[in-house]
Amino acid sequence: MRIGIVCPYSFDVPGGVQNHVMDLAEALIGLGHEVSVLAPADEDSPLPPYVVSAGRSVPLPYNGSVARIAFGPVSTARVRRWITRGDFDVLHVHEPLALSLSMLAVLSARGPVVATFHTAMTRSRMLAAAQGVLQIVLERITARIAVSALARKVQVEHLDGGAVEIPNGVAVAKFAGVEPLPGWPGECGSATGGTLGFLGRFTEPRKGFPILRDAFVELARQRPGLRLLVAGPGDPDDLFNRFPPDLRDRVTFLGLVSEEEKARMLRSVHLYVAPNTGGESFGMILTEALAASTTVVASDLDAFRRVLDGGRAGRMFPTGDAVTLRATLSQLLDDPLARAELTACGDQVVANFDWPVVARRVLEVYAAAIEATDGRVIDQEWVGLT
Amino acid sequence: MPGMWWVVGATVVVALVAVYLIWTAGRVERLQDRAQLAARALDAHLLRRAAAAAVLAERRFGVELYAAARIALDAEPEEREAAENDLTRQLRSVQLDPTDADCEAVIAASRRLALARQVHTDLVRDARSARSRPLVRLLRMGRRHTWPRYFDIDDPTLTIPAADVPSR
Repeated sequence: MRIGIVCPYSFDVPGGVQNHVMDLAEALIGLGHEVSVLAPADEDSPLPPYVVSAGRSVPLPYNGSVARIAFGPVSTARVRRWITRGDFDVLHVHEPLALSLSMLAVLSARGPVVATFHTAMTRSRMLAAAQGVLQIVLERITARIAVSALARKVQVEHLDGGAVEIPNGVAVAKFAGVEPLPGWPGECGSATGGTLGFLGRFTEPRKGFPILRDAFVELARQRPGLRLLVAGPGDPDDLFNRFPPDLRDRVTFLGLVSEEEKARMLRSVHLYVAPNTGGESFGMILTEALAASTTVVASDLDAFRRVLDGGRAGRMFPTGDAVTLRATLSQLLDDPLARAELTACGDQVVANFDWPVVARRVLEVYAAAIEATDGRVIDQEWVGLT
Repeated sequence: MPGMWWVVGATVVVALVAVYLIWTAGRVERLQDRAQLAARALDAHLLRRAAAAAVLAERRFGVELYAAARIALDAEPEEREAAENDLTRQLRSVQLDPTDADCEAVIAASRRLALARQVHTDLVRDARSARSRPLVRLLRMGRRHTWPRYFDIDDPTLTIPAADVPSR
């Protein structure tokens, strides 16, 4: 099948949507399809061979953060040329409701269009103000995919349409079997040692770092050798000032990590802790921790519960409850068998999120979109589903 | 000469209205066509599922499933939704083994049917909302097509992926 994918955000800056598009494109190519990805990028930046640059992007504030996107007459011309030359069986756009290449592609498309919605913007001013204009865009979309239950809810409630829920994939092969950082995770015996991990912006309240800090400080006093490994953006002094002076040497800060370092970091801890208090629509980091075969302890948010199969693939604690978290951590650190049981179940769960599996589900949506556009049914073999 | 400006102004307004009407008529037409094509795809997937279920019933599970599949295949348009829902219930009541080729064919057909149903519902909704606009109704645009109709059946998905298992 010839597939054209449009990514609205520039590949020059890393981001969730960009990673999703690259992993999906690679998985589809791996299944034997022809894929071309259109994305904004600077002329001289190195790009994977399947990416076509749509020119430079401009920073634009959007949905609470700054997105680098391309929009305007030049971009429109490039999008049209790419669509004409590509002669795609199906066009797959990401985030089509942002003013971006994706929206231009939808408006220029003639054949079947599949759209993936990533963000769960619950009450966007843009959605409310421009309903009529957005309707014209939405009408050209044949099938919609939402990456999380929350994103799907937005579709149903605010955009008046259904969507197929297909979760974010995780490239299991990139996480499994990676070497841990030298010297980690170290010993973990009964009532001594053990390593906890946290990844994310520790200054952001909804990431819940203070809950983990409280649990760690209490537990570290009872448990000699307990260590905490933190990765993510932020100022080291700001992090260490949050801990009492006698415990600071038991906290290690890696700063911002690359994708490869992230995998190694996740393999370097006994327990990965996700103390988030909300705002998480999918829980990508949990699937990554599961892919690294690391035991997960997470707050009982709906999104996390779904990823962890209701608590079978990872231990859950009441959101915001540092005392229960401390007890859970202490119990799991003392019990290697319970940890092994959770990771074994985690391996099964994460297999459903592996990119080749997720890509097959996306292919079925492509088939449905093509069928709805020309009214005939496609064989499983042609889509490469068998 | 104020009179000429009136003429120019009126001409521009008429031209804009004409462009808008032609564009709207094209839009209504396109949405209707799309809903019809989606209905054809949905029909094909319904037949495929029923056929796969009949094949499976002949080899395993027997009369009741076979009867449900036959009824779904032969149903008159007005009874079809109920017949398809019956077939879904029958398929849910038997133990399907994903490693068996005939069972897998039924599971795959149900999955594809679920997608076809979702797409059809969305496209019918778009077509209906376009046709129920006051201007479209007033000018009776798209009257060459029948009023787009939903096909109201339960979600035919059979196996629930692990990630979607409801909590507790």
